[in-house]
Amino acid sequence: MSAASADGAGPATGAVPRRRLPVRIRPARPAALAAGLVLALILLAAIWPGLFTGRPPNAVDPPAALQGPGAAHLFGTDELGRDEFSRVVHGTRVSLGVGLGATALALALGSAAGVVAATAGRVVDEAVMRVCDILLSFPGLLLALLVVAVLGPGTADATVAIGVSMAPGFAKLVRSQALVIRRSDYVRAAVTFGRRRSEIHLRHVAPNALAPLLVLATVTVGGAIVAGSSLSFLGLGPQPPSPDWGSMLADGQNYLAVSWAVAVFPGLAVTATVVSSTVVGAYLRRRFEGRGAGDGF
Amino acid sequence: MPGRSRSRTPLRSAGAAVALLLAAAATAACGSSGSPASAAPAAGGTLTYGSDQLPDCLDPAVSPEDITGIVDREVFDSLVSESHDGTFHPWLASSWSVDPAGTVYTFHLRTDVKFQDGAALDAAAVKASLDHVVAPATASQYAASLLGPYTGTKVVDPATVQITLSAPFEPLLQALSTPYLGIQSPAGLQAGKTQLCTHPVGSGPFSFVSWTKPTSLELKNNPAYNWAPADAAHQGAAYLAGITIQFNTENASRFGSLTSGQSQVIEDVPPVDIKTLKAQSGLGLLTEQRPGAVYTIGLNTAKGPLADPKVRTALMRSVDFDQLIQSIYFGQYARAWSMLSPTTPDYDATLAKSWPPDQALGNQLLDQAGWTAHDAAGYRTKDGQELTLRWPAASPRQDRAALAQGIQAEAKAVGINVQYVNEDQGAYIQDLIGGKLDLVDTSFVRDEPDILRHFFASDQTILKGGANEFGLHDPQLDQWLNGAAAGSDAAQRKQSYLAAQQYIIKNALAIPVYVPTTLVGYQTKVHGLALDADGSLLFHGAWIAK
Amino acid sequence: MTGRAAAGWLLRRLALGAVVVLGAATVAFLAFHLATGDPVRVLLGAETPTPAQLAEVRTQLGYDRPVLVQYGSFLGHLVRGDLGYSYQTREPVSELIGDQLLPTVELAGSALILALAASVALAVATAGRRPVLRGVSSLLELVAISAPSFWVGVLLLTFFSFRLHLFPAVGSDNVDALVLPAVTLALGLVGTFTQVLRAGIERALAEPFVLSSRARGTGQTQVRRRHALPHALVPLIALSGWTVGALLSGSVVIETIFSRQGLGRVVATAVGGRDLPVITGVTVVSAAAFTLTSLLVDWLSRVVDPRLRENPA
Repeated sequence: MSAASADGAGPATGAVPRRRLPVRIRPARPAALAAGLVLALILLAAIWPGLFTGRPPNAVDPPAALQGPGAAHLFGTDELGRDEFSRVVHGTRVSLGVGLGATALALALGSAAGVVAATAGRVVDEAVMRVCDILLSFPGLLLALLVVAVLGPGTADATVAIGVSMAPGFAKLVRSQALVIRRSDYVRAAVTFGRRRSEIHLRHVAPNALAPLLVLATVTVGGAIVAGSSLSFLGLGPQPPSPDWGSMLADGQNYLAVSWAVAVFPGLAVTATVVSSTVVGAYLRRRFEGRGAGDGF
Repeated sequence: MPGRSRSRTPLRSAGAAVALLLAAAATAACGSSGSPASAAPAAGGTLTYGSDQLPDCLDPAVSPEDITGIVDREVFDSLVSESHDGTFHPWLASSWSVDPAGTVYTFHLRTDVKFQDGAALDAAAVKASLDHVVAPATASQYAASLLGPYTGTKVVDPATVQITLSAPFEPLLQALSTPYLGIQSPAGLQAGKTQLCTHPVGSGPFSFVSWTKPTSLELKNNPAYNWAPADAAHQGAAYLAGITIQFNTENASRFGSLTSGQSQVIEDVPPVDIKTLKAQSGLGLLTEQRPGAVYTIGLNTAKGPLADPKVRTALMRSVDFDQLIQSIYFGQYARAWSMLSPTTPDYDATLAKSWPPDQALGNQLLDQAGWTAHDAAGYRTKDGQELTLRWPAASPRQDRAALAQGIQAEAKAVGINVQYVNEDQGAYIQDLIGGKLDLVDTSFVRDEPDILRHFFASDQTILKGGANEFGLHDPQLDQWLNGAAAGSDAAQRKQSYLAAQQYIIKNALAIPVYVPTTLVGYQTKVHGLALDADGSLLFHGAWIAK
Repeated sequence: MTGRAAAGWLLRRLALGAVVVLGAATVAFLAFHLATGDPVRVLLGAETPTPAQLAEVRTQLGYDRPVLVQYGSFLGHLVRGDLGYSYQTREPVSELIGDQLLPTVELAGSALILALAASVALAVATAGRRPVLRGVSSLLELVAISAPSFWVGVLLLTFFSFRLHLFPAVGSDNVDALVLPAVTLALGLVGTFTQVLRAGIERALAEPFVLSSRARGTGQTQVRRRHALPHALVPLIALSGWTVGALLSGSVVIETIFSRQGLGRVVATAVGGRDLPVITGVTVVSAAAFTLTSLLVDWLSRVVDPRLRENPA
């Protein structure tokens, strides 16, 4: 379980460091429920922002620029008089999109690489794992920054960058899972019964490797959202006028001398999303792997 | 590429040290006269100046940048100097004359001037300097274009030079007064391209010491200096022992360095911080609208939707620039109505408020132009094509990106999709050369209405170093702008420039947006700072109170 | 473990590390060549060059040679510490990194010390205490871990600089200016460190030697500090890879917010301006430094915890 146990309680790090946020929490049911509720609201805002606000996120109203929170503007306004609340709500889709998209990409790339490594023989396995080590040797956000430098800034580019930088972790997990399952009794039994290789992989190995993977994905999504909003804070993610939480904060930073509101709410949205998805993910993982899973998070 | 949307808006600093003496404003509280001499100037001390730009090359013949102009103004002297009223005064040339045809300028040089390397200024040095400007190997990005129809320089005798033109060129004296045509030491010119870029040697009040890329640059007092322009408020050597220029492109950080005392003077106080600056005792603001072409959005008149004047006018009238500029620049920048700024000679004041925002008119014009259908996103379409305008920018400043978003939002209200794209410099230049854009933002500081020619004359294309980005070929404009450049009759020139300004607005060839304004912050213990005719800083007469 | 086994382990790890660094350099080289846009045009910046000028610069820089030859010369230069020239400042990248390293090390070092001090205090205070206290602490830690550093930084700026005027908003010239950035960077680590430490202390508190010490009448706090804490610090070493990554990523964002000089700022600016020589230079250097660090840490872990020696790398 190399990539998943970034909690530091495990044995040595091996050649590679871990990129995922190391979080170890064991949320109780009520906490998980509350987090689930928050997450549901956030998802709802992403799917149907019109439910929360009728204001368009990009409509400007310069005379009303940089107002504090009030009855007219719940979260205040930015330097162009745009409604911050509407932008935060509409930004959910953009910011969540980057996080979910990157995680899905990492999952897909990582699973493919991991399964290939586990099944295609020693040489391929070595090669894939060394490539993963190499990619994991770029500390923190650096690999994502390198990819953005290649692709140029933008929503899709930032998503790809973060997805690629997270993929090696998934690949390692999938490989180890696949190896465990391949040596398991039921796969051996299937082999004994003369099933074809591809069928065994498809029907037995893949589904069993998937479950812990999805759990890892739930926990990882928080990190991906933070990474995405960090890139967009640096101006490398979604481009204006897209209401993205990171770039809203970056713009707002120029006006701190006049208004504090521009700095508070977009960040609050990121934090709430990450906290709730982490709690829900941790809870799910605990349910999935049972109490025996040790420190878990 | 001078003056494109980058922060390095080139500033054509025009000579002399007259200008509005800031000390008057700065020390208004302490002196009844308000004169800079209300206290005795103290010599000595090093002034730290926070610049908002990083210089690229310090050879004035090469670089078009503002910051190069500011540094080089202290290092180099010019043949003549221009004062705020647009008149010219002796500097390195003690007198000059023009032949009746207007094509031969004869300059009589001072004989007491020494370069910082000890060499004497003579006619040969002036010729070497100007030859260097126009030499193809120099790859001048701006200075060479200032010389217009220049054909050559002739040494008449050691104290007399003649500049010859192929046609009359009225802006020549103003051009010669800028630091970009400052006279360089002949020995320095022999030193090669890299050395010229990194080690300027002139005859100015300060000499170059060192340049620590990309953080700072040091200048030191040239004690021999005794040849300030005739119209300068201070004569003789500069008071300051030296100047440290700190390059700090980060707005908040630069402002912080002023309030904390790390810098005594900073360029470009962020408009959002002006209130803080004014509230703090011991700090002052030196502000002046800069002459030249205002911050402008150029429109692609050659192809795409903007080839139709109705669409151009619709865009121009559908955005409420007043409100946007007021809110983004906190009232520090004036809204522009003409392509020329109000402080430029021959500015047409009658254009003010002549094209107020009118979205109803915008909609009506777009309907007339055939953009009648709307797509799902609410943008107008014609023959299935969406009304999309591409506006690339190379790493724009935050304020300009905000302004662009405001324009984007207001254009959307009439169904125009403005796509503001952030590109790297290379991609941007490629787009510009390939004409793959509908909008381009620019500004260009120069105290000379001739700047319009740079933007609109048909021979001023980008590849020839001009700013006619879209290859506009308008015989009427050519006639006015080229005619005014060659004509010596002031009244006639004025008529041409007025007509051209009207014509640009009437045909919506470009959208003037705001008037770039000098916002220099300083500690009030600094006296004698001045702005030249271009609104750029001069340090010759500056001193720090003990 | 015998000396030979240790030497073998070290050799294997060194070889692996070399492969990884070479791979990182290759990735960087590929990135450089995959990047869209013509590097020559980017390099020429604001100039509008003629095709002949473009070709000349291209030849000067060797961009007209076959890719494999370029790769070879890239590696050759790399070995000699030559990382090429920045597009934006035209400076040698190695000099740029050298100049900007110190402020970042300053920031990261002070953040690390702050984070360690705070999390030791928090972990000792909350380990094995009442569920309510732990719950509150866990929630705060989770928020600290989840809140993006750019937000924390901007909040601290808003309140301590713009409202209370306690610290300067920007700059990197004095100690005052280091406080807010270091606190911001530290906060990102505190949550994680505290969780790891507390779990370690709780495990240790259940060990027999602690029970016996308690039976001898040693005070509660003393037991924690003397006996449980040293045990809990070991897992932190294993976390060092993550810590270095967090510090470096954090410095990219935090140096930007506080307009500090440093490597992170250089990276952020370079990515924005697509200054690929700088980005590839910094990534290769940090990948190498990183690989070396994890090697060191693993070796340290083996020394500290003999159980790991059975486990070949």
